[in-house]
Amino acid sequence: MIESFVTHTLNGLYYGFILFMIAAGLTIIFGVLGILNLAHGELYALGAFLVFSVVGFATGLVASPTGTVSAIVFGIVVLAASLAAAAILLPVGAVVESVFVRPIYERDEVYQLLLTYALLLIFIDVMKFGWGQTPVDPGVYGTLNRIPTTELVGFGYPSYNVIVMLVGLAVFGWLVWFFDRSKTGRIVRATAINRDMATAIGVSTDRTFTLVFAMGAFFAGFGGAMVSIGPGTAFLEMGLDPLVLSFVIIVIGGLGSLKGAFVGALIVGVISRWAIWLYPPVELAAPFAVMLIILLFKPEGLYGTWGEIE
Amino acid sequence: MASELTMMSDSTAESESGGMERRTVLKAVGGSAIAVALAGCGELLEDEEDPLEEAEVPDEPIEAGLQTFLEGAPAVLGVQAEYGAETAVRRINENDGIAGRQIDLTVVEEGEEALENYQEFVEAGMDVTFGPISSGNHEAMVPEVNDQGVINVATDGTVTTLYEEDHPPEDNQYSFRFQNHDVMEALAAAVEATELLGADEIETYAGINPGYAFGFDEQELFSAGIEQLADAELVYEGFPDLGTDDMSTHIEEVNSAEPDVLFSSAWGGDATLLLEQGHGAGMFDNIELLVGPVLYGSANDLSEALVDGPIRSGSRNFYWDQPSVDRWDPGRELFEEVQEEYDVVPTAHFMSGYGAVTAWATAAEKAVRILGGWPEQEQLADILVNHGFYTPAGYHTMGPDHQGYSNAHFGELTWSDDLDAAILEDVNVYDPKNVSPPQGQTSRDWIADWD
Repeated sequence: MIESFVTHTLNGLYYGFILFMIAAGLTIIFGVLGILNLAHGELYALGAFLVFSVVGFATGLVASPTGTVSAIVFGIVVLAASLAAAAILLPVGAVVESVFVRPIYERDEVYQLLLTYALLLIFIDVMKFGWGQTPVDPGVYGTLNRIPTTELVGFGYPSYNVIVMLVGLAVFGWLVWFFDRSKTGRIVRATAINRDMATAIGVSTDRTFTLVFAMGAFFAGFGGAMVSIGPGTAFLEMGLDPLVLSFVIIVIGGLGSLKGAFVGALIVGVISRWAIWLYPPVELAAPFAVMLIILLFKPEGLYGTWGEIE
Repeated sequence: MASELTMMSDSTAESESGGMERRTVLKAVGGSAIAVALAGCGELLEDEEDPLEEAEVPDEPIEAGLQTFLEGAPAVLGVQAEYGAETAVRRINENDGIAGRQIDLTVVEEGEEALENYQEFVEAGMDVTFGPISSGNHEAMVPEVNDQGVINVATDGTVTTLYEEDHPPEDNQYSFRFQNHDVMEALAAAVEATELLGADEIETYAGINPGYAFGFDEQELFSAGIEQLADAELVYEGFPDLGTDDMSTHIEEVNSAEPDVLFSSAWGGDATLLLEQGHGAGMFDNIELLVGPVLYGSANDLSEALVDGPIRSGSRNFYWDQPSVDRWDPGRELFEEVQEEYDVVPTAHFMSGYGAVTAWATAAEKAVRILGGWPEQEQLADILVNHGFYTPAGYHTMGPDHQGYSNAHFGELTWSDDLDAAILEDVNVYDPKNVSPPQGQTSRDWIADWD
């Protein structure tokens, strides 16, 4: 029973870290730009498809692992390729922001929804054109599991899940550092807090917004890449569920809050896996019930900043 | 009861098929060019005169519509059905059509709009429609098919209760289903487990099945069968959403329960996900056997590592190498045609499309021969009932309940270096009468009545 509890909780944390990577991009974009990006799930899916091609190419350059060291090398290659795949989302995000999103900043929110929904449909067709209509799988999950991790301490658990959790922690740490400590991050936060003042002291809001949107796209794509190198496949409809849960997460955590997105994602991940374990019929309802309860007591969310990255 | 659920071994099935003579084939299919071509025995009819040339039939081509999943996760099955239907239509048209009429096949995405698709087909003047894949879609369509009066031959949508209980023959005239229904593969899975492990050795079982009508149906029928055959106890059943991205919770529960047999009707991406996560979480160290009726439906997405372990998979009413293509020319020619045309290994869902078209086409030709002209929908529906026909998968019948009956296949899921793809070995073939109830009796009552 205790071992099951630990495993189910770890499964929830793993799922939570995946959700965090997606929700982080969504909350960054909303926190700074004030845009609720309905196409965010498709940026996640695009990352999943891109990693199929990039990882497929990269792993073709290295020999199939035969031992622990070669498995670790293989894992590093896969992670590097995943980063490279997600990096393709940087220019994609930049173009989307500068060409499509920028003209509607001053317009009513309904234009945002219409535009980003149109982008959602366009991205689906782009993926259909690029990778076809059927699911694709890089097929590296089994090999990643050959990297010894938890078995070193006498506990059997898929190494891929452990890798994702470590990567998720690293992403959270980097984002906190970026927005708290780096000059560029502080400029972004300053722009989010007072756009006019930032402009007055010489900050280019256009460039800042483009950077933020590109970062959001990158992290969505990286989340998709992490899923695609796992046991799942990349398929055309994969963006919908994570998008909905990401909205739940950023509402739980507080719109625009990175810490909130992190805590919210882990809560949703663990609660959803506990729900399947203990009472499966409430699996879908559980995250929304959590959101409802939290909003009753903290209407602004756990770390609500309403529009300021924190 | 296990002894009653007999199966044919590889060798038995092959000797029966391999020993078929020319006159047997001609007699069985009515001696028509289309029926023989679709059986894959076209070379037998060289120099034969076609008596259908005298029949009065319209000049215009037959308009046929197929709805199937063309995109997304379910396309793993749906595209195979499309290939199958296209192949049957291609063979028909290359053999001068049905009584001289060519077929124009229109293929649309099934999605969640199966009912609307069918209505649009009818409005467009289709002579016949095929599909869908989804059980829920099929269920929604049957009343409309009977209202509209344009025959639909479902490729799949195999929930057993649909034609046994929800739409019995007295309430159903125009809706048919070609692929075997769930009870046939669920019971075949129960027999496989019992034969392989021994009834006395199976004390517990578990199930991970898709959380919708098909998965519930399969789990219930397998449970009924394995409890009768081995008196086994259910220790866990989980129903992840169709197209889920994570089965780890269910797999952990299976690992905790350590059942002797795990049953899973997961298909498409769910099947590969189950195998991927199962291997990752050490599931195959905690069970004796995994039986999955449709795991082989993902044959083109399986890797060598995934098929490692004690896994037996069904392949519904068609496994491409049963009888062996080395000794069965129709099977070999079909396999080579599919490889050349589509570069895939044909799965049971290929036959779902191929057989649905063949059922209707051979019945239409039979009707023209009997009537001397093209049949009305009502006449063709009557002909389809109790209609028997051949495909390269063997002999099929359309029962009085409008359900197709064909042999069910089960084998060990393994890997072929030669083919560089997953294959089934040690294939067992189950006669329909041994894994489905007599006409007029429901599967649940039939299984419950076993001594």
